[in-house]
Amino acid sequence: MTACTIDFEPVGRRGECQNNESLLACARRLGVGISSVCGGKGTCHSCKVQVLSGTVSKPTPNEREAFTSQELKEGWRLACQTYPLSDCKLTVPPESMTTTQRIQVEGLEVKVHPEPPVRAYRIQMEAPSLSAPDADADRLLQVLNQQHQLNCGKIDINVLRVLSTQIRSWNWEFQAVVRNDEVIALLPQSSHQLGLAIDLGTTKIAGYLINLSDGLTLAAKGVMNPQISHGEDIISRITGVVHSPDDGMLLQKLAVEAINGLCADLCAEANAGIEEIVEAVVVGNTAMHHLFLGLPVKQLALSPFVPAVSRAVDVKAGDLGLHISPGAYVHLLPNIAGFVGADHVAMLLATEVLPAKIPVVALDIGTNTEVSLIHDGKITSTSCASGPAFEGGHIKYGMRAATGAIERLRIVDDIIQYQTIDGAPPIGICGSGILDALSQLYLTKVIDEGGRITDNHPRVRTYKGQREFVLVGKEERGGKPAITITQHDIRELQLAKAAIRSGIQTLLEASGCPEDKIKQVIIAGAFGTYIDVASAVTIGMLPSLPLNRFQQAGNAAGMGAKLALISLTKRAEAQVVASRVKYIELAGAPGFDQTFIQASYLGQYRIIDGKREEID
Amino acid sequence: MAKDLVSTLADLKEQEALKIVEGRLSAGEEPLKILEDARKAMELVGKRFASSEYFMPDLVYSGEILKAVTDMVKPRMSKEAEIKRVGKVVFGTVAGDIHDIGKDIVVFMLDVNGFEVYDLGVDVPAQKFVEKIKESGAPIVGLSGFLALAFDSMKQTIEAIQAAGLRDNVKVMIGGGQISEEIRKYTGADAYGLDAMAGVSLAKKWAGAG
Repeated sequence: MTACTIDFEPVGRRGECQNNESLLACARRLGVGISSVCGGKGTCHSCKVQVLSGTVSKPTPNEREAFTSQELKEGWRLACQTYPLSDCKLTVPPESMTTTQRIQVEGLEVKVHPEPPVRAYRIQMEAPSLSAPDADADRLLQVLNQQHQLNCGKIDINVLRVLSTQIRSWNWEFQAVVRNDEVIALLPQSSHQLGLAIDLGTTKIAGYLINLSDGLTLAAKGVMNPQISHGEDIISRITGVVHSPDDGMLLQKLAVEAINGLCADLCAEANAGIEEIVEAVVVGNTAMHHLFLGLPVKQLALSPFVPAVSRAVDVKAGDLGLHISPGAYVHLLPNIAGFVGADHVAMLLATEVLPAKIPVVALDIGTNTEVSLIHDGKITSTSCASGPAFEGGHIKYGMRAATGAIERLRIVDDIIQYQTIDGAPPIGICGSGILDALSQLYLTKVIDEGGRITDNHPRVRTYKGQREFVLVGKEERGGKPAITITQHDIRELQLAKAAIRSGIQTLLEASGCPEDKIKQVIIAGAFGTYIDVASAVTIGMLPSLPLNRFQQAGNAAGMGAKLALISLTKRAEAQVVASRVKYIELAGAPGFDQTFIQASYLGQYRIIDGKREEID
Repeated sequence: MAKDLVSTLADLKEQEALKIVEGRLSAGEEPLKILEDARKAMELVGKRFASSEYFMPDLVYSGEILKAVTDMVKPRMSKEAEIKRVGKVVFGTVAGDIHDIGKDIVVFMLDVNGFEVYDLGVDVPAQKFVEKIKESGAPIVGLSGFLALAFDSMKQTIEAIQAAGLRDNVKVMIGGGQISEEIRKYTGADAYGLDAMAGVSLAKKWAGAG
């Protein structure tokens, strides 16, 4: 059968469909990011595409479930269930693309000497004979000892299951991958040893494929966390699990399948095989960490917020259902306490703040914001419930950072200037835009320092008993409803920003560090990367400091995961960081309520003895 | 005639409000009438808070003004004219949850609306609620919780009240976080409130009926 050419629109990628692969498999190989939550089983219906021209296989029962007969007639199909029979042209709608959601994968690269926990050894074995009929495994261990002076005593069961067949097919020449005293994988001579670093976020998952021998990143990619369908924040996911324990297994599976899909995409991009991945590191907040491992979470969500495990964990990929080399280990960095988990440890690792003597604040802003203060050689950390407002949640026209979201906003002489993601017509406002809006409304005195919308601007109107500020009018949107910021939105933002500021303030007070002594503020995470720091300072979300003291570090948690993947020294350092951190629970901190109320005010100020002192 | 105390206080104009109170007192007005106006103003404050117009600091400020007003009025009041308490409420954040800001707001609103509130604090074990209900004889119980898992604690607390044979003596309201009718049913509470003013309305309704 001749190969068919597939044209993916609107991304404009075109290529040959090989070996009877599905449209999804073809898309993956060509680097077209079609989302697949179920991993190609036809059950999640996330890989919808429309066939514009060409002949394809008949709809499967799964597709009949996913579409109406009208939709099928229009050419709508699931990419994972559909096989091309001729050249085809397809439309991939935005909701099926993994790349529409802007997901931060880049971060500052930190150079580190590769010192991976796994090593591959080249093996040349003699074929057995009647006079030397020793078991294949025994002879392999012997060769490792003779040729490489290794005292391996263990062979992974998955390796044993394929050992005899594989080494014969490789004609007794291959590579044995060893971790501590265990043979965890066998690879052909030509294979690389790859590693997988995963930042498992509540909303997004970022993955990195790394060459373990030189530490270089071969591919990087982000996808949405499919657990979102079980709750946007970790608390609602935990609640779901507590009330129906089967959900725990389901959430674990969802995360693993998403990582499997991500991993397949990364391998396709780097032209690598998943069996070449012989080690993985996963970081996440404590809740994501526990849900990924299938650990109990109820005790984590209730005071005094105790994790099941804090120390680093090594677990076999096969035990988790992760599709990499089945004998490979997945290493989870240690958690700190409460919700401050391995991702924060990874961030501290990547930003190299540990040796710092000068005061440094490092924070990762999200639905939960983790903050650390490094002062006088000590680290204090806390977790603030900043809520979903900066992800667009609970905001009338809020949305995630996707096409059409207002991401930057300025008010100049009563004219609203804004920039949307991809330059598309505005459909809502995402976190960085929301922050800009709040700052601009404050600077132009449309809202007062208490956050109340005053009635002094032509764009202020009252709608359903509540004041709101019109960002994009109905006429500017061709008759669609105006995009506004309501009084209620502003209150939500104040709660979110007060949570972050009072978290920082509490750490400063607990460490006896005056705010103006902070020499560096490191802001990590996707949201933190895209925000205008000046806006965050204007509204008092971040301390009032010269802007050159702020550093936006990108996905530092992902970078830390990479470091821990390629360097044993960094892993040891992570353990040291985690054990040195002193965790402070905000709700139990003295004077927290007063601090929180002060921190809800807009403007630049210091909080001293529970009172605000303005700074011009 | 001096400006209206209700609107001045509700607009949080402290100096003006205190001046009005001073004027009315020296004109020999009945102190209870002034307090009644202050209560009406606080009701407006509560409404504005519920509609997002006011925010937490405004609430705190309104409390400070109210205290200043009561401090001025009280010495002029005869013993029997002490503010009549409209009912007793036992209130607290349930076990396992340590959130207090939302709870404090409801307690404050209940207080300024004339309720005698027994505030048990946060992370309150079920048994402590039971003891306080027995001791105070309060006919109204408020269970607060922000964490979704607090709903289990609410359920357990109501079960403990039931087990102590007190369930028929009290009306229980729940609030905080993402509360719905479904959760009310799950916990076995009598009603739920989405904001502080809803809590006050419930308490008033129950106090009136009981």
